[in-house]
Amino acid sequence: MFDVAVIGAGVMGCSTALFLARAGMKVVLLDRGAICREASGVNAGTLTMQMTRAALIPYALRAHEMWLRMPEWCDGGHVLATGCPGLSVAFTEHEAAMLEERAHFRRQAGAPIELVTPARAREIEPGLSDRVIAAGHCPIDGFTSAYLTGRAFRPALLNAGVELRENCGVHGIKPGFAVETAAGVVQAKRIVLAGGVWLQDMAAWLGVTLPIKVLVNQLVVTERMPQVMRTVLGVASGLLSLKQYANGSVLIGGGWQGIGDRARGGLAVKPESFLGNVRLAAHTVPALRDARVVRAWLGLEAETADALPAIGPIPGIDDAWIIGSVHSGYTSGPYLGKLLAQAICGEAPELPLFPIDRLLAQEKAA
Amino acid sequence: MIYDIAVLGGGPAGMAAAAEAAQRGARVVLLEESAAPGGQVYRAPPAGFTVPPDADSRAGDALRATLRQSGAEVRTGCRVWGVGGGPLVPMDTQAAPFRLDALAPDGQSFAVQARALVLCAGTHERIIAFPGWTLPGVLGLAAATILLKAHGMLPGRRVVVAGAGPLLYAVAAKLLKAGAEVPAVVDLAHSREWARALPALAVRPDLLARGLLWRAQMLARGVRVVSGARIAAAAGGEALERVLVGDTWIDCDALCIGHGLVPATEATRAFRAAHRYAAEAGGWVPVLDGDQRCSVPFLYAAGDGAGVRGAAAAPASGRLAVLAALHDLGMLPDHAGARAAPARDFARAAKAGGAMARMMALRPALVQAIPPETIVCRCEGVTRAEIEAACADGAADMNQMKQFTRCGMGPCQGRLCGETAAELVAMHCGGRERAGFATGRLPLRPVAMDALLGDFDYADIPVPNAAPI
Amino acid sequence: MDVIAKPDRMKDVAHPIRIAGISRPADVAFSFEGRSLLAPEGENLAAALIAAGIRRLGEGQDAARPRAALCMMGVCQQCLLRVDGRLAQACLTPIYAGMVVTAA
Repeated sequence: MFDVAVIGAGVMGCSTALFLARAGMKVVLLDRGAICREASGVNAGTLTMQMTRAALIPYALRAHEMWLRMPEWCDGGHVLATGCPGLSVAFTEHEAAMLEERAHFRRQAGAPIELVTPARAREIEPGLSDRVIAAGHCPIDGFTSAYLTGRAFRPALLNAGVELRENCGVHGIKPGFAVETAAGVVQAKRIVLAGGVWLQDMAAWLGVTLPIKVLVNQLVVTERMPQVMRTVLGVASGLLSLKQYANGSVLIGGGWQGIGDRARGGLAVKPESFLGNVRLAAHTVPALRDARVVRAWLGLEAETADALPAIGPIPGIDDAWIIGSVHSGYTSGPYLGKLLAQAICGEAPELPLFPIDRLLAQEKAA
Repeated sequence: MIYDIAVLGGGPAGMAAAAEAAQRGARVVLLEESAAPGGQVYRAPPAGFTVPPDADSRAGDALRATLRQSGAEVRTGCRVWGVGGGPLVPMDTQAAPFRLDALAPDGQSFAVQARALVLCAGTHERIIAFPGWTLPGVLGLAAATILLKAHGMLPGRRVVVAGAGPLLYAVAAKLLKAGAEVPAVVDLAHSREWARALPALAVRPDLLARGLLWRAQMLARGVRVVSGARIAAAAGGEALERVLVGDTWIDCDALCIGHGLVPATEATRAFRAAHRYAAEAGGWVPVLDGDQRCSVPFLYAAGDGAGVRGAAAAPASGRLAVLAALHDLGMLPDHAGARAAPARDFARAAKAGGAMARMMALRPALVQAIPPETIVCRCEGVTRAEIEAACADGAADMNQMKQFTRCGMGPCQGRLCGETAAELVAMHCGGRERAGFATGRLPLRPVAMDALLGDFDYADIPVPNAAPI
Repeated sequence: MDVIAKPDRMKDVAHPIRIAGISRPADVAFSFEGRSLLAPEGENLAAALIAAGIRRLGEGQDAARPRAALCMMGVCQQCLLRVDGRLAQACLTPIYAGMVVTAA
């Protein structure tokens, strides 16, 4: 009998499991695939405040710190986290107004974003296009190599005594809890659902209707190239994230949509999304014209009806918890898992959770 | 306009497929990366070059002539970077026409759409890593045939030929004839493996005769043929200077080495078609029925890209694929009658090709012999030791190994390192089936941003609605 | 340990690397890293560089260096160069007059 079964070994599930185990609980972490192989391993690794929803800024700031100091709390595991300034830019008056409004809300939430002139922006990022008319500058930004996330968490999880069961799909949960897997039933006193876009199916096991929208985010990476930029770049609308890694490759993201769904995963890049995304990138950093695109892929991001997270107890079912659907969830992930672990252990979490009662009430009303 | 059939790849399978489709009245387009159709074995010399004819060039010229006369639309010099449509559509949406995104020789982007897609993507060469293989002067065995036959160029003046399969002796013979010195042919196969392959080759007396001739030439010129041996290391300063075979260092300025051919399954993987691991056919191949149909409706694969059976078997498989496509499109009433001849031709040629393919199958002992510090993934500089460390850290399949190490993330997109890496992962996780393959991704080849982008105005970028604040 | 060596023959520059008996277009001039070279018009760039004795196609620190012709069929990306300023795979590029080739 485990104290907790965490279902879903992405960044949310890994972090929750790790901090639960360190608090003395006997934890099993189950995933139908390999650790951090879905969104947590294929996202853009952006640690930016300027794409984070204002309500999540306090969480993202704490998580930013956790990512940069990951080796200290994760038994040496790391994701090559790099801190650097971030710029969110505007090319039109409309975008400049959006930039100003959004910077205001995020600043109120604690992100140190200041509006800067194009000239100042180009001092901070010499690679920036001269067509920029305004920019928001945040000294707290950065990026990770998300593909290392599973490798970073794994040893710490094992050291903490978490029983990690990969390739162990769950297909149902009976009260008590009996977690039904292909390899037999796993008994646990508590459960944590941490299944990303599959949270909707997981909630249904418990008879809970929780609609989760699936975003099919597209990413593009270039071949290694000489340095063309040194910051994390975005645009006012949030539809671009751009960074160059130490090895010279440039990662282009921003949430342009490809083809895919919960059942089939990320299926195909849409040519028009692909072209739009790389044009926006090259419009922002003109030197990218000289690059070669080497790979494009897709990752699934979960979103609730109000686009705010689902983190907290599952109403009406004792000892059942949920964590996920965090916009830019990778950025805030390790901190949110830590918070949920605090709540499960009966402590008051450092910052409030995002209970799902609001979403269930809304669903009932509809 | 939507074509009935698009053919991707203009080797022997693709040429025959496109010609067959055009002859039967289908609207067909063939897309090929090289400047002329032909593929690797039947590669055409550059424009303006006249090369003395041989058996392969005559076969290639005949296929090119048939293709030309068929009236099929042929677009050469095109880099196809994207595949889509077909099953790759949103849920609850009808299957769409297939779509190929490409760059024309002038760098312009274009796309073609077709109701059926015949993939004739061919193979790439398997070169299992060994110390020194990254030295300039080490090149592929298939590369050597291209250099020799299409470009009329020696890869070096003193050339060691090594690896597996009939290409070894073909390359060595050609090198000798063209005036190079061949200090050694180093064959992974023992003589008894060749003996075992002979019965299958008997259906192709032409090949058998050619093979015997090559061997006679080796003997006459005093070429040292080392059987059941491998290149243990290559060494040199600026470029290759010598290779190690057993205890013997052999001076040379080029090493032509190939350990078999690997079917190019990037497109079938991108379409999420079912695949199976068939070592004797070169590795992972799409699951096909007897008419080259993939598991995805209206998608077909032919030629060596569907499983290595040799250039001689390729045209018949291309024709079978197109006949099936025409039948499935409702454009061929007498499918059974039409397919009989190519089916017979394919079975016959594939028997000899299959025997050769088996000799070119991956030899795990080669992978086991790689020293830990040897680079496996050249693009990203990943060594055997690093791959094995990732396996020890829990990477139990190719996708996770790629994530943990970057092996296969560079511009060759895993084509060069994939076989070695997969075998290393397989040794840890219990076989190639379990190790799987890296998910098929676009672009199919690296694609220059400049050409993709074209000229555009910022206002024309269809930026989606902003995310909520 | 055995050594099979023929060092003299290897330095025999008179021995042609372009195979005889092939009719080729007239030579045109092009350059590689500032060095002037001649090759038949339309000849494959990777092949022409081998003929010129140029094996190392690009130096540097990253893993893919030195670059060199390897697969000759557009797959391995090891022969990536800059042709008139644009990235191009040497093995897929025909020579034309005045072509300026540099390391990628």
